[in-house]
Amino acid sequence: MEQANPPAATKPRISLAARLLAWLSGLGLATVLLLLIGLLTWLATLEQIDSGLYHTLRKYFDWRAWYIIPEIGGTTVLLPLPGGYWVCALLALNLTLGGLLRWRRDWQRVGVFIAHMGIIYLLVAGAVAHHFSQRGHMRIADGATSNTAEDYFEHVVEVAEIKDGKPDVIQVIGGQYLTDLTGSASRSVSLSKMPIKLEFSGWLRNAEPTPVDENTSLAGATACDGYYLMPKPDKVEAEANTPGCVVQVDLGEGGKPETFLLSSAALEPVTLRHGERIFTMVLRKRLWLMPFAVRLDKFTANFHPGTMKPSKFVSEITRIEDGRQAKAVIQMNEPMRYANLTFYQASYDQLGQGPTAKMASVLEVVSNPADKWPQYSLYVVAFGLLVHFVAKLAGFILARSRHNPHV
Amino acid sequence: MSDSSSNTGRKLAAALVLAGLAAVFYNLVSVTRPPPGELRTIKDYSPWSAASIAVAESLPVQDGGRVKPLATYAGFNMLAIFGSRSMTVAGNDGKAQTLNPTAWLLDTLFRPQFAIQHPTFRVDNSAVLEAVGVKPRGKRDRYSYAELEPGLEKLIELADGYESIDPKHRDALQQQILDLAYNVRDFQSLLGQFAFARSGVAIGSGDEPQRLNVSTVMDKAPRIRDDLAAARRDGKAGRGPAEYLYQETTQVAGLAMRGMNIFPPAEASDRSWQNSGQRIMGVLNGVTHSPGPAIQDIMALEQSVHALDTGDAAFVKEFTSLCNDLAQRAAARGEGRHLALEASYNRADWFFNAFLLFFVGALCAVAMWMLGTGRSGRILAGITLGWTLSGLVLCVIAIVERCLIMQRAPVGNLYDTIIFISAACVLLALIIEGITRRRFALGLAPILGTLLVFLSRRYEMGDPKDHLDPLVAVLASNFWLTIHVITITLGYAAGLLCALLSTLYILMRGLRLDRADGELRRALTLAVYGMVCLTLFLSLVGTVLGGIWANDSWGRFWGWDPKENGALLIVIWTLVILHARLGGFIKEWGLHLASVFTACVVVFSWWHVNFLGVGLHNYGFTSGKDVLWTFYQAMLGLMLFGGTAKWLESRK
Repeated sequence: MEQANPPAATKPRISLAARLLAWLSGLGLATVLLLLIGLLTWLATLEQIDSGLYHTLRKYFDWRAWYIIPEIGGTTVLLPLPGGYWVCALLALNLTLGGLLRWRRDWQRVGVFIAHMGIIYLLVAGAVAHHFSQRGHMRIADGATSNTAEDYFEHVVEVAEIKDGKPDVIQVIGGQYLTDLTGSASRSVSLSKMPIKLEFSGWLRNAEPTPVDENTSLAGATACDGYYLMPKPDKVEAEANTPGCVVQVDLGEGGKPETFLLSSAALEPVTLRHGERIFTMVLRKRLWLMPFAVRLDKFTANFHPGTMKPSKFVSEITRIEDGRQAKAVIQMNEPMRYANLTFYQASYDQLGQGPTAKMASVLEVVSNPADKWPQYSLYVVAFGLLVHFVAKLAGFILARSRHNPHV
Repeated sequence: MSDSSSNTGRKLAAALVLAGLAAVFYNLVSVTRPPPGELRTIKDYSPWSAASIAVAESLPVQDGGRVKPLATYAGFNMLAIFGSRSMTVAGNDGKAQTLNPTAWLLDTLFRPQFAIQHPTFRVDNSAVLEAVGVKPRGKRDRYSYAELEPGLEKLIELADGYESIDPKHRDALQQQILDLAYNVRDFQSLLGQFAFARSGVAIGSGDEPQRLNVSTVMDKAPRIRDDLAAARRDGKAGRGPAEYLYQETTQVAGLAMRGMNIFPPAEASDRSWQNSGQRIMGVLNGVTHSPGPAIQDIMALEQSVHALDTGDAAFVKEFTSLCNDLAQRAAARGEGRHLALEASYNRADWFFNAFLLFFVGALCAVAMWMLGTGRSGRILAGITLGWTLSGLVLCVIAIVERCLIMQRAPVGNLYDTIIFISAACVLLALIIEGITRRRFALGLAPILGTLLVFLSRRYEMGDPKDHLDPLVAVLASNFWLTIHVITITLGYAAGLLCALLSTLYILMRGLRLDRADGELRRALTLAVYGMVCLTLFLSLVGTVLGGIWANDSWGRFWGWDPKENGALLIVIWTLVILHARLGGFIKEWGLHLASVFTACVVVFSWWHVNFLGVGLHNYGFTSGKDVLWTFYQAMLGLMLFGGTAKWLESRK
């Protein structure tokens, strides 16, 4: 482009678009964005000590976070910073434009070009994992079989029709229809397979059903059957939160809608009757149905002798799919990858006490389309950097030997 | 600036470096060697023979999840309680005798009459003694168990109260009282290990009751149990001789129920070794399947203890027979294969010797810089290289021996990282010297070696435990330990080295010690640029490898764990430097100032995240944070100095 327009005596006019492109692909922007990512990472590292990882990540790196006011050790730091997601997105754009526009067939910089492409691939892998991966955990007792994993964070409302003492039809209201119902917001939901209309409101991220007594100040909270949902501060470990909400149930029989409290801390489900039909409603962590079942044949937890330091956790399992069975072993650092799902040895439980107590293995289940992409990107980046730095070093040594400096 | 004032500056700088090195040397020697205080005379004390020590130091002990030689076990116990691996006492002749850890432990196990007079307990704050009612000698001193005995009841009472306080809320004195109480408990447990062999079980009454060996009681265990059962049936429990023997034996065995697991189990599938107390009670309670070998073990120990009364030769004979038997049984189980190597590793004290070599190398380096490029300067460069290489060789030998003993890659815990980074930094500096041939990297190599080995010694003092310990399940992968941990640790080493090279640049140029030698400055700048590139390469590859490992261990590439974030910060910071330099936003001065800050980022990642109390790499540290802040301040102070020097230079 520059060769096509030889320099004129007067300063050439550069269009706004070209200036914007130059700025977007520039090293100045790259430096500032890298500094910002470094600063955000450092602050998020410090903030997670008090606020917990889940909330800190949502605050710093969620796409909805446009700006951030850090809070370190309970003190607000008056330094507004842009949201990490958008800084990363802009850096990816800067990298792509910079890599493509600046390279210009300069073979001396081919290594840098390759490394940049590798980093773009890594960032894309991160974005794909962020938006499209799912994770949960499967807890299986020795000898038991399971085909569901439980989400760590998302709570859903499950309404089930009970026939012969068992759930027959289950309908699920996803977490995205509930979590925004804070304050006075409410949402009506009609269930397609059941004669039930629900109106949810008063979502609380962490709450505890508490008896109402003479000293209780409800302050706008709904009381039901002598209980109300007492808001609690968020737990540092977000998966330990027990959310709750209010639901108004209209069974369509011309009667007055009934109000219930739903809480994931509740021990019993809400039971509804519509004529002869019986329904239950519960707020719980989302269950994730696997395309196959897993039977835990044997779980072994070994410790270094005389210590509580674990040396080995091994789950010997059988995968059961359409009646076919296949054996597999899942242990630390050796997950099972199958059907786009990966099963990891996460932890274990002891069910009961004494030498006859059964063990239960907890497997983490992850579905991540970008599972192996970081590994491939590493090959690209490492190759690119190696080419560049070795070329630089060789150049330096050759130049030195030519100059033959005094020793 | 004239040459004479530059020379004065050089002399001043050399004096400051020498003073710093002297302070490091004094600190290390003063904390790791016994204090020069009053020599304790112990009546009738005689040292252990070399033969006794040689036999004892390779005795296998299962501790902390692995089988190790007694020398290692003794070393960390002594370091934890006494604060050093070397103690000096005097016998009747008043001549000083140095006790190594094995000798100290042999006294504690076999000759408690002497051990309780050893100045074993290090007390750094006399207020601890005042609190328990013992008269202190000075602010800091070492006390014997016998001296502390009058205050033990109060000590335990106070410690019981302080134990329930959250460690974060304990004040320094409470923690020190608690530490002393733990040390006393550990010492008492060692003192009691072989008490059963000395005391036996007293039967009969009068001034000189008969003593029955515990092994004899064990032999009679079935009959004792039958008699006890019969007494219970007849409603006479608590009175008969069987009850008496059972109670007395349980009491003496109770003193040996903690630590000192020296007996390999008979069953190959049983992984936990036993101590004397478990051996005795197992037979007494009838839970040991084959009591014969257990009785033999206890009998052999009793014979060793009793042989001491006869003389050293008799003791060596009995004790050698016991140790050989135990070592053979361990070997038959495939355990303790590297006991002799580990014992020799302990004896060699490689890192202390490496410290001495690096220290001498550092002194030569200062002289080399002072003498310039003349003939004497060249000779000193060769001598510096010799000392530094010797120190490096010792470090490498030690690291290789540790790998052989642990049967794993060299870096698995924080202590490993320090010694590995020491060796890596020295090696990298020598490689830079090989490329640049300007002697600045050659001089920095032994200085860095001295400082980092010093750090490893201080860390070991502050956390006196076995750093050859086995790894938790998730780390037990030699493949990942090798490729991820080593890469990331080399990244730390490269980052520290580039900061040190820049420190040299800033000080030389800022204080005008380099006689405005443009070539030297360019060489330093190129070296720093190269090290920033290497830091980026190693940290980036190491970080992504860590992510891939985490993806195989926990199912996520990135978990925002503080240690992961720390490694990412190093990557980002080096990228900032390289992009800012490429964009022309920073030039020579800017590169060096930014490079100095790399040390802060590396130290945050290497050390500081361990104090945060969250994450998978959290080590639960509570003390030592002040050192980090001092380091950050020093680095920022250096940057401020460099910035001011640059400003002053640009005004001219």
